[in-house]
Amino acid sequence: MEFLFSEDQRMLQKTVRDFLEGECPVEAVRARWETESGRSLEFWKKLAEIGVPGLLVPEAHGGLGMDELDLVLVLEECGRAALPEPVIATAAVAVPLLCELGDTELQEAWLPRIAAGDAIVAVGAGSSISPFVADAHVADLLLLPDGGAIHAVDPAAVSLTAQPANDPSQKLFTVDWTPGPGTRVGTADDAASIDRGALACAAQQLGVGDRLIEMSVAYATQRKQFGVPIGSFQAVKHQLANCAVKVEYARSLVYRAAHSVARATRCRSVDVSMAKAQASQAAVFAAKTALQVHGAIGYTWEQDLHVWMRRAWSLERAWGSSTWHRRRIADAVIDGALPAESFGYSAPGAPRAAPA
Amino acid sequence: MKVLVCLKQVPHSDARLDIRDDGAWIKDDGVKFEINSYDTYALEQALRVKDAGEAEVVVVSIGPDRVTQALRTALGMGADRAVHVNDPEAEGSDPLGVAKILAAVAAEESPDLILTGFMSEDGNFAAVPPMVARLQGIPSATAVVQCEISDSSVRVERELEGGAMEVVDLEMPCLIALQTGANQVRYASLKGIMQAKKKPVDAKTVADLGLAGQVGASAVKVVIEKIYRPDKGEGAEMLEGSTGEVVSQLVGKIKELGLL
Repeated sequence: MEFLFSEDQRMLQKTVRDFLEGECPVEAVRARWETESGRSLEFWKKLAEIGVPGLLVPEAHGGLGMDELDLVLVLEECGRAALPEPVIATAAVAVPLLCELGDTELQEAWLPRIAAGDAIVAVGAGSSISPFVADAHVADLLLLPDGGAIHAVDPAAVSLTAQPANDPSQKLFTVDWTPGPGTRVGTADDAASIDRGALACAAQQLGVGDRLIEMSVAYATQRKQFGVPIGSFQAVKHQLANCAVKVEYARSLVYRAAHSVARATRCRSVDVSMAKAQASQAAVFAAKTALQVHGAIGYTWEQDLHVWMRRAWSLERAWGSSTWHRRRIADAVIDGALPAESFGYSAPGAPRAAPA
Repeated sequence: MKVLVCLKQVPHSDARLDIRDDGAWIKDDGVKFEINSYDTYALEQALRVKDAGEAEVVVVSIGPDRVTQALRTALGMGADRAVHVNDPEAEGSDPLGVAKILAAVAAEESPDLILTGFMSEDGNFAAVPPMVARLQGIPSATAVVQCEISDSSVRVERELEGGAMEVVDLEMPCLIALQTGANQVRYASLKGIMQAKKKPVDAKTVADLGLAGQVGASAVKVVIEKIYRPDKGEGAEMLEGSTGEVVSQLVGKIKELGLL
């Protein structure tokens, strides 16, 4: 069994990292904050040229036909760059949802446009997760759940109300809309979309955590106190080491969750919840530690630390908070909704469940 | 048209470099490598020729297994096939040795156009491109910042000293060495990366090219005696006092030097 990512997958990751380092430096993230939409359709088109929005789109519709095990590394890079574009909703959630709905006409209408960078799709997570829909203001199509059905809604037919957000890159809206037979496009597993969104957030949190650690290590190596770099003090370096341990531990869970989503295993949801909760905890811990390591300068607007701190916080709330995901894990454990094998544990002598 | 692009893999610009125990080069264990940035402009120029019409783009590089990644990246960006000269006997070659290998590959490929970077970021000799042209007996132009390529000739604009520019016409086959910033280099696409693994990479040895005993460390004419980090300069003056006092002293020093 192969547990490592392939050379091709690592090259995909490097390609996206090189692209984002060149085309989406932190100055570009900040510049987006000054625009009305906070998004750049021109940049979205470039992102499509290298293949990101269409990564999960089937080849027959002009995409790359890959799966979440390929996407997860790309999403890590999006987090590392604090990319302010709707990759999660469009690339990670909407594409598989459109495929799952099985509406050929809808697929033919939207999947090629998504792959080409000509369409952005916003997806509602459902009221149990969040009453808000991210990026509805730039969406060409809204996929909204209602009463167990999915509705494909024209943005022109809805009323949007912008909501305050801690992260200037996060654009949240309440959507006033009326479901009807004309908008209903089928049914889909609500949990599957939540899992895809949560997995995408967890993957981005890894990149956010990595970046916060890198920034802190660079600062602790450069900033001197008592004639030596502050990183030489155990009180500083041990905290950063703890951040690295948490992010690395979360990384294993995120990769496991990506496998579970890609293969639709029956422990998918609990794997995703563990990954989301752990990756969020790691990124938020890295953010808090980074602030302590930087000291006063970390509180300033000019220092870039807050770009990633805010992203860690906003991703923690998106597609189910850590509390929501922990509760889902607890329900699975206490109610026995999932077999013990789902958690990597098998009681001695207990019969093994058949693999999914 | 066939275009041959010569690529060199060099240490990443952010890599921390340590000097080898024999002092003759850097330790490359654990160092991250990338395509020499000058060569990326050559590759981009070749891909533009391909985009504009019928052209086959072949990339060639010399070095150990790690060089495969550079070739794969080039294939992912759109090159059609690659030649990898992977032979321990080629290690330690000086610019002439490298030029002999590249010229031998060029002789096998018979390209209409050879594109290279102006120089490599690690060696900085800027010697290989004109040597390849000389060995091939074809015209060349270096420090090229702009090219207009037609079916049988190339008009280039090249940098001279003092900000002057020169326009040169070359008949094909010819070699063009591109200056940094000559164009906007594209990124590899994810689709291109996936397609790259199906594109051929032709492995060659020095013997395959008929150069046994003629290249490598044993055949060098240029010997690197040592590389070293220069000593830190003496005479730095630390300004002390409050912020106001330091600023006042600094302004005084700048005035003393006649810079204000």
